[in-house]
Amino acid sequence: MARTPTLTFDRGTLIVHPPPRGKAWVNYATWDDRIEKFRIPAIDYRSLVEALQAEGASFVDQAKAFDPLELVPILEMEPYLHQTEALTAWKQAGRKGVVVLPTAAGKTYLAQLAMQSTPRSTLIVVPTLDLMHQWYAQLKTTFPDAEIGLLGGGSRDRTSILVATYDSAAIHAESLGNRYALLIFDECHHLPTDFNRVIAEYAIAPYRLGLTATPERTDGKHADLNILIGAEVYRKTAEELAGNALAKHEVVQIKVKLSQQERLRYNQLIQLRNGFLRESKISLGSLKGWQMFVQASARSQAGRRAMLAHREAKEIALGTDGKLRILANLIAEHYPERTLIFTADNATVYRISQELLIPAITHQTPVKERHEILTKFREGEYKSLVASHVLNEGVDVPAASVAIILSGTGSAREYIQRLGRILRKGKDKDKFALLYEVVAEDTSEEGTSLRRRGEQGSRGAEEQRSRGAEGKARQLEIVPSTTIYGVSGNVTKRVADAPGEWGSDNSEETED
Amino acid sequence: MHRVSGEAIIPKRLKIDENNLSIATELITCFEEARGCTQGELNRQLQELEGDTPDYRLKRGLAHLLKSMCEFEIVSPLEPQLLRERVFALSAQSIPSSHQSNQTLHTLALQMSQELAQEVLAEQIRSGLYADLAENRIMTQFDVPTPENLLHRYNLSQVQGVFYRASHLTLNAHRNVPGEYKLLFRYLKLFQLMAYIEGDADHGFTITVDGPTSLFNPSTRYGLAIAKLIPALLHVTKWSLSATLQTRDFYTNNWKTGRFSLDSDCGLVSHYPPGKPYDSMLEAAFADRWDSLKTDWVLEREVDLIPIPGSVMIPDFRLVHPDGRTFLLEIVGYWRPEYLQKKFAQVRRAERNDLILAISERLNLEKAGVKLTDVPAKIIWFKDKLLPKAVLAALD
Repeated sequence: MARTPTLTFDRGTLIVHPPPRGKAWVNYATWDDRIEKFRIPAIDYRSLVEALQAEGASFVDQAKAFDPLELVPILEMEPYLHQTEALTAWKQAGRKGVVVLPTAAGKTYLAQLAMQSTPRSTLIVVPTLDLMHQWYAQLKTTFPDAEIGLLGGGSRDRTSILVATYDSAAIHAESLGNRYALLIFDECHHLPTDFNRVIAEYAIAPYRLGLTATPERTDGKHADLNILIGAEVYRKTAEELAGNALAKHEVVQIKVKLSQQERLRYNQLIQLRNGFLRESKISLGSLKGWQMFVQASARSQAGRRAMLAHREAKEIALGTDGKLRILANLIAEHYPERTLIFTADNATVYRISQELLIPAITHQTPVKERHEILTKFREGEYKSLVASHVLNEGVDVPAASVAIILSGTGSAREYIQRLGRILRKGKDKDKFALLYEVVAEDTSEEGTSLRRRGEQGSRGAEEQRSRGAEGKARQLEIVPSTTIYGVSGNVTKRVADAPGEWGSDNSEETED
Repeated sequence: MHRVSGEAIIPKRLKIDENNLSIATELITCFEEARGCTQGELNRQLQELEGDTPDYRLKRGLAHLLKSMCEFEIVSPLEPQLLRERVFALSAQSIPSSHQSNQTLHTLALQMSQELAQEVLAEQIRSGLYADLAENRIMTQFDVPTPENLLHRYNLSQVQGVFYRASHLTLNAHRNVPGEYKLLFRYLKLFQLMAYIEGDADHGFTITVDGPTSLFNPSTRYGLAIAKLIPALLHVTKWSLSATLQTRDFYTNNWKTGRFSLDSDCGLVSHYPPGKPYDSMLEAAFADRWDSLKTDWVLEREVDLIPIPGSVMIPDFRLVHPDGRTFLLEIVGYWRPEYLQKKFAQVRRAERNDLILAISERLNLEKAGVKLTDVPAKIIWFKDKLLPKAVLAALD
């Protein structure tokens, strides 16, 4: 008597044994000598099962360990048009695919709609602990009776709805793989890395939804999202939604002069570094050049000194006392408006926090405290908040109307997402958001800032090429600060200018 | 750190010489002196030690290993989290500035002095605000290694680093003591790896180690697990291995394949505890009794591996006669039903006719669902202890 072919799940793969009749399954299977059985990549589960069913082959599916869920929302909101359209497009694509919407366009609510219409065990993957807790809180509110758990930041739940960080989900990919029918990837541009992609590859989930504001990656790997999640099914940019779901905003750049001492030291250091780079024929225009510099610094004393000089120069440019003075002025000017302050490094976060006694959030902040700080900020008990890059993505701070970037890295994504955060539409319909960018004059940082705005800096050829690519150009248009909102992106205000002027003349322009 | 020679990768290996030992001693001393200091302070000391010499990577590597031997704790008279809550709540009531900050701290210092009935200074509040940050934590414990051991750990971790990029590992193993093999396979299982074993005792065994998805494409997903296996392998006496590495080309950024070889004469020193020579008292006692027996049959601890699809069987002993006859002996004194079922399924699938099973009469095989009718091995029953004579009787 022949046994019925059985499909089982083994650490990110499927084993089918004994071999079924027909040949549809053969396309997916590879003979594994180690166990003397056929093995199939887990991600092929849906195509395999559909092929077997199409041929009418009989088989037992012991692989899937996910269940139907009863999801009763206690709170139903009227979805925005773009949310309805996106949901329909995703369903028509067989409940597989990527939806591109700007930050603050209600991606979380879209995900809830997708879960309700696909009521099965669901794994939600998010990039940061903040987002993990935010999703958790939101899902708990919407589906109070559902079993919702966390994976990451010390939690290791095993629930039919699980919110996990990319890191933890990748580490546990082998054991999570067959337990969820629907995968939701928040900020899904994080998925196609060598480390994270296994979350999608080792999973049998037939239904997959990717959400992001900026799918494009500088390494070109975003094409892999087609395989890992599905093709892009819907896209809307910030200007297409502006005024509809998002708040208006303007960008003001403030340049800070280095003090005489700092300037002297800065020039000295840069000279030392450049001298070495010239001698060793290294150009820092590209990532490659940087790698060569790092290698050279481990080979000779001169190289090592040049590297230390580079670091110190960077520190001077990033953390000038002048910037902190400007910061204090800006906070004072907007007090008690809710103000977010961003810096690139933790040391500056804690320096500001200790000097101005402003609550801080970094990756070192304990989860519970982080939650409390954000709650108090939202409720207005705290007026300002200083954070490093941990708040970069999608943390919902609807109350904030002013953001100050003290020093950031040059990636366009970060810029857009930081903007997105203060763009969240609060209760106030006429909310107007302000973004200040404080950079040091005549330092490497200006280049960073240019890059951040997506303008052509005098950078290496490699980077210009990538900017020329279609996807990149598009990504940068998401928040066009010049044309749409009627404010020049290049407004440069000196420290000496009367502070009152910054807001007044610009906001007039924006009213029309 | 490593250099590349053709396809082969040669990890950096420190000689255990005076120069390196003095660097190790210097760092260990630096750590010993940092007891009771903050991690930030230790980092500053280490940075000073690094200076501007190009060998900073070596020192950083050694310091990294030393940090894993330390414990850092929060030492603060006031709970930092509670302190922050109070400070920020108060400071949010006025426009932030350096001047205002001083005032806020003084106000709070007065309040807290009254509450706690002891003097609290504004400066204490400022410095205690973030006592829980990693860099502000205090080193309370340091398991001081010898300079030699530190260098051994360094050399081992350099080699382990190479395996992070390994997609799979091919081991050539010879007859080895079962305890050593069992330790290796226990770690193999612990790290969720898979092994494919080919060959026989005369030609040696080839064990290919990788993971379930390695079948579809070479992935470095299992590299970390393979790296963690290496210290366990160092406890096995005779082996050689070759690993296939996946690295990205520096210039083209394409994947390329590299190779790395290592054998039991590599001189690396494991920091994993060694396996036990015998799994149970039963085995140990049997070996003792055999030694006092007069027979031509020699009882060997170095056994053959018996490959089984998806698994491997490692018998307890090998019996060798001068005329060339050999048998493998497995003592079954264990009682968990699942274990028994697995063991007998293995024996059945092994299809070996040179296998002897010594089974304890106390085992309730029927209850465990084990039938002995279709087991190809010779079977010896024993009560409390397994007598060598009973085994000899089965041999002839």
